[in-house]
Amino acid sequence: MGSLFRSETMCLAQLFLQSGTAYECLSALGEKGLVQFRDLNQNISTFQRKFVGEVKRCEELERILVYLVQEINRADIPLPEGETSPPAPPLKQVLEMQEQLQKLEVELREVTKNKEKLRKNLLELIEYTHMLRVTQTFVKRNVEFEPTYEEFPSLESDSLLDYSCMQRLGAKLGFVSGLINQGKVEAFEKMLWRVCKGYTIVSYAELDESLEDPETGEVIKWYVFLISFWGEQIGHKVKKICDCYHCHVYPYPNTAEERREIQEGLNTRIQDLYTVLHKTEDYLRQVLCKAAESVYSRVIQVKKMKAIYHMLNMCSFDVTNKCLIAEVWCPEADLQDLRRALEEGSRESGATIPSFMNIIPTKETPPTRIRTNKFTEGFQNIVDAYGVGSYREVNPALFTIITFPFLFAVMFGDFGHGFVMFLFALLLVLNENHPRLNQSQEIMRMFFNGRYILLLMGLFSVYTGLIYNDCFSKSVNLFGSGWNVSAMYTSSHPPAERKKMVLWNDSVVRHNSILQLDPSVPGVFQGPYPLGIDPIWNLATNRLTFLNSFKMKMSVILGIIHMTFGVILGIFNHLHFRKKFNIYLVSIPELLFMLCIFGYLIFMIFYKWLVFSAETSRVAPSILIEFINMFLFPTSKTNGLYTGQSGYTLIRKESEEEVSLLGNQDVEEGDHQVEDGCREMACEEFNFGEILMTQVIHSIEYCLGCISNTASYLRLWALSLAHAQLSDVLWAMLMRVGLRVDTTYGVLLLLPVIALFAVLTIFILLIMEGLSAFLHAIRLHWVEFQNKFYVGAGTKFVPFSFSLLSSKFNNDDSVA
Amino acid sequence: MLKKLFVYAQNLTRIGFYLISDLKIHLQTTDYGNFLANQTNPLTVSKIDTEMRKRLCGEFEYFRNHSLEPLSTFLTYMTCSYMIDNVILLMNGALQKKSVKEILGKCHPLGRFTEMEAVNIAETPSDLFNAILIETPLAPFFQDCMSENALDELNIELLRNKLYKSYLEAFYKFCKNHGDVTADVMCPILEFEADRRAFIITLNSFGTELSKEDRETLYPTFGKLYPEGLRLLAQAEDFDQMKNVADHYGVYKPLFEAVGGSGGKTLEDVFYEHEVQMNVLAFNRQFHYGVFYAYVKLKEQEMRNIVWIAECISQRHRTKINSYIPIL
Repeated sequence: MGSLFRSETMCLAQLFLQSGTAYECLSALGEKGLVQFRDLNQNISTFQRKFVGEVKRCEELERILVYLVQEINRADIPLPEGETSPPAPPLKQVLEMQEQLQKLEVELREVTKNKEKLRKNLLELIEYTHMLRVTQTFVKRNVEFEPTYEEFPSLESDSLLDYSCMQRLGAKLGFVSGLINQGKVEAFEKMLWRVCKGYTIVSYAELDESLEDPETGEVIKWYVFLISFWGEQIGHKVKKICDCYHCHVYPYPNTAEERREIQEGLNTRIQDLYTVLHKTEDYLRQVLCKAAESVYSRVIQVKKMKAIYHMLNMCSFDVTNKCLIAEVWCPEADLQDLRRALEEGSRESGATIPSFMNIIPTKETPPTRIRTNKFTEGFQNIVDAYGVGSYREVNPALFTIITFPFLFAVMFGDFGHGFVMFLFALLLVLNENHPRLNQSQEIMRMFFNGRYILLLMGLFSVYTGLIYNDCFSKSVNLFGSGWNVSAMYTSSHPPAERKKMVLWNDSVVRHNSILQLDPSVPGVFQGPYPLGIDPIWNLATNRLTFLNSFKMKMSVILGIIHMTFGVILGIFNHLHFRKKFNIYLVSIPELLFMLCIFGYLIFMIFYKWLVFSAETSRVAPSILIEFINMFLFPTSKTNGLYTGQSGYTLIRKESEEEVSLLGNQDVEEGDHQVEDGCREMACEEFNFGEILMTQVIHSIEYCLGCISNTASYLRLWALSLAHAQLSDVLWAMLMRVGLRVDTTYGVLLLLPVIALFAVLTIFILLIMEGLSAFLHAIRLHWVEFQNKFYVGAGTKFVPFSFSLLSSKFNNDDSVA
Repeated sequence: MLKKLFVYAQNLTRIGFYLISDLKIHLQTTDYGNFLANQTNPLTVSKIDTEMRKRLCGEFEYFRNHSLEPLSTFLTYMTCSYMIDNVILLMNGALQKKSVKEILGKCHPLGRFTEMEAVNIAETPSDLFNAILIETPLAPFFQDCMSENALDELNIELLRNKLYKSYLEAFYKFCKNHGDVTADVMCPILEFEADRRAFIITLNSFGTELSKEDRETLYPTFGKLYPEGLRLLAQAEDFDQMKNVADHYGVYKPLFEAVGGSGGKTLEDVFYEHEVQMNVLAFNRQFHYGVFYAYVKLKEQEMRNIVWIAECISQRHRTKINSYIPIL
C-alpha cells in the first residue's frame, strides 16, 4: 500500500556545494534524478545570474551542433544513436570540445560555401547550354541571313511597317536572352510590352527539364526567352526589367560560329566543374562522416551541461563566496542516495572539502511525489490529469486501478469485444520493449502509454460480458437454460394442478404470435442460470425491459457503493491530517445522510428481490413510489414493502431533521475547532463568516450532489444499453443477412460480410464506443468519486534528472 | 491579451543592460522566443531589426493567407502604405544613382511586390503608372498625380504625398462603407492619420518653394481638421501659427502643448504616443478588423522601441534609453 496510497514524505534540504565541485556534484545528482531544485534567485533576471556566461557558451555550442546535424541530415548520412547516454563533460574537456567544434564549423562552412559556389556555377553553365540549344531553334530558319542581321532580313515578314522607318533611323538590333521562372513569364511579357511599347519581339520556349534555382535550391520549370529590340534606350529598359524579374541573362552569340565556340567551351568547363564538384563533395562527406560519429554524444553532453548551469543559476552564494547554497526538495527515502551522490561528486573533482547537506525544517508545502512503475503510471496519469494530489493526501490512483476498468467494463460489457481489446493490449504489453513502439507518435503512443489500463479494461469487459451473457450481442448457452418451455403445455401437468394456471394448448400456440412463460407454473423455471443472465433472454421480446430493470438497479447500487467508499476515504484524510473534529462533524453526518437515504434505497432493492417471488410479484409495491413517499408523508395509506415501514419513515424523517440541524451546529462548533488549529499555525487570519459560508455551501453542495451524482451513475446503465443495442444492430444488419443466403453461394457472400463486420466492429464498437465508455468512466472517477475526498491542489515533484532531458532531446532532433 | 502580446519597454529599460546579447537573453523570455538563436555573433542592431521585421511579416502573411473577403481587401489596404514608401524609396535611390540591391535591403518587407524593382525605369509619374504600377494595388491612387513632370526630388515628395492622400481617402471610404464596429474603430484612427499628415506636410513645407495652393492639394480631405482646419493650415507660415490652428481642436491642443515639455518631446513623438493610445483602444472592442491594423502598428512601435533601446546600448547613450514610446 505504502507509496501509492499517499505521496512520499519530503524534506527540504540545503546543499552546500564547494564552488569547485558544484558542477560535478550536480552532474552526479542529475544522473540520479533525486531532487527538485528551488529557485533562490527569483527576483534576479535571467541575464544577471552567476553562470550566464556558461549558459551562453552552451547555447553557442548548441547552435554549432544544430548546424552540424542539419548538414549531416542534408548529406543523408545516418546519425548513429548511442545506446548509453554519456555523462556531462568534465570542465577540463569543455574548452577542448568547444575548440574542436568551432574548428569543425569553420571548416564545414568553408567547404559548403565552396560547394555551393561550384554548384551555382555549374547550374549557370548548364542553363547557358540549354539556352543556347533552345534559342538556336528560334532563328534556325534564318540561318543563312544571320551574318547580315543588321539589315533586318529576318523581320521582313513580321513588321513591314517598321522596317523602313527603322532602317532610316539606323538603329541597331540587339538581343537579350536568358531564362525565366515559369510563374513570372506572363507578368514579364506584359511589363515588357507596356514599357517598350511593342518595340521588342519576344520568343519563348519551355525547357523540357526542370532545373534547380541557384538561389533557393528549388527545382522548378524554366522558360527560355529571346528578346530582340531596337535601340540603346529600350535595351537599357529591357535589361532592367530582366533584373526586376530575376531572369538569368546570358550573352547571346551573334554568329553561328561564335555559338559553336561558346558551346564547346561550355562543355569542357562543365566537365571540369563536375570533377571538381565531386571531389569537394567527397571531402565534405568525409568531414561529415567523422563529425556524425560523435555528434550524438556531443549533443547530449551539451544539453546536460546547460541543464547543470541552469540549476546552478538557481543557487545562491554564501557570504564568503566560496560555496554555493542550493535548496532542494528530496524524498526522505532518498536522503541516503543524495548523500552518496554528493560524496561521489566531490570525490570525482578531487576537492579537499566535501560538499555536504543538512535538513532544514520548513512550513511550506512540499511537492507531491508518488513513485510509479510502468503498471501504475497510467492510472496515476488519469488522476493527475484532474489535479495533482495535495501533499500526503489519499491518492485515489490506488483504487482507480480496479474501479476504473470495472466501471468501464460495466458500460462496455461484451465478452467478444472485451477479448479483442484484451488481446490488443496483451500484444502491446508483450512487445513493450520494441523500439518502434517506444518511439511511435500521436495516437499509437496514447494506446501504448495506456496499455496496462487497456489490458485490465479488456479483462474486466470479458468478466462483465460473461455476466451479461453477451458475445458480439449473442448469448452463449454454456450450462443449459433454467427455463423449460414444454412445462407450459397442458399435457405436462396432471389435471389436478391445472386449475389456477394459465397453460398453453395447441390452439393457443397456433393463434398467438407472442407467448409468455409463467415462472409460477411448476417446472417452467428450474432455478437461476449459474453464471450471469440466462441465455433464453436473448430470444425474449421483453428482453430489454428485463435488462433495463436489472442494469438500472445495478448501476445505482454500484454508484452508491463507490461514493460511500469515497466518503470513507475522506475519513482517512482527516485522520492523517489530525482533524478529528472533521470526522465527527463532516464525515459521519455525510455518511449518515448517504446511507440513510441511498443506503436505504439499496436495502429496498435487495429486499424486494429477496422477498417477493414469482407468485407474489403482482402485489409487490413500486420502489420508486415508496421512496418518494418517504419524503412526502402521504396521508393515504399504501401497502408498504414490509410491516413497520411507516415507522422507519417517521424515524428517518426525524433523524433527517436532526442531521440537518446538527449540521448547522456542527459548522459552528467546527469553526471554533478550526480556530484553535489556525492559531497554532499562525498563518491565516481566522474569519468566522468566511468559514461559515464555505461550510454551508459545502453542506448544501454535498446534499444536492449526492442526489445528482446518484443519478449520474445511471450512465452506466445507459451506455451499457447503447453498447448492447449497437452491437445487436450491427449483427442484425450484416451477419444475419450474410447467414441467411443459401448454402451454395453463401460462402462467397459471407467472406466480405465478415470482413465488413470485423471492420465495423473494430472501428465503431471497439474504438468509438470504447472511447465514449472510457470518457464516462473518467468522469465518474473525477467528479462523482473524487469530489467526496480529493482536494488535488498539490504541485508535482519534478526532479532534476537527465533522463527527462535526453528523451526530450530526441524529439527535438527528429524535428530538426 | 495585450500584456502577453507586447514586450513592455519598461521591462526592458528597468533592468540595466550592458550588452546587446543581454537584450537577446531577455527577449527569449518574451513572446519573441528564440528568434535570434541562429544568428552568429556578433549581434548587431540591424540584425535584430531585420529578424523582427521578418517575424512580423510572417505573422502578417499568416493573417493574410487565412483571410476571406472583405478582410483580405482590408489587409491589402494595410500593405499599400508600405508599398508607397518602398516605391518612393526606390525612386529616390535611383535619383541618387544607388544600386537597386542596396535599397531593396532597406525596403519594408510588408510592402514588397514583384514589379517594385523596375520602378527606376520610369521617368515621369504617368510612365510609372502605365508601365509598372498599373497592376498593383497602388494603381487606383494614381488618378490625381498623372503628370509628365520629370521626377526630381520635389516631385517625388509631391508624388508621395498625393499617393498617400488618395490612399488614405480610399482606405477611409472602405472602412466607412464597411460600417459596423470596424468603422467605429478604424475611422478615428484614419482621421488621426490624415490630420497628422496634414500637420507634418505643413511643418515640412515651411521654407520650401511649395506654394500654399499646392500645399492644400496635398491634405487628405477628411479627418477632424477637414475642411476649416485645413484651410487655416494652408495659410500657416510658421510653427506658432500651426499651433494656433491646432488649439481650435480639443484633441490636438494637449498634443501640441506637450511638445518640447518634459523630456524634450518632438511633435513626432507626441503623435506616436497618441497613435499608440488609439491602437490600444482598438483591442477593447470585438468583432472588427481594426485589431489587425492596431496589432501591426503596435508591433511596429514595439520594434521601434526595441531598436531604440538596442541602439542606445550599442552607442552607450544610456541617458536617452528612456525616451521610447510606451505601449500602454
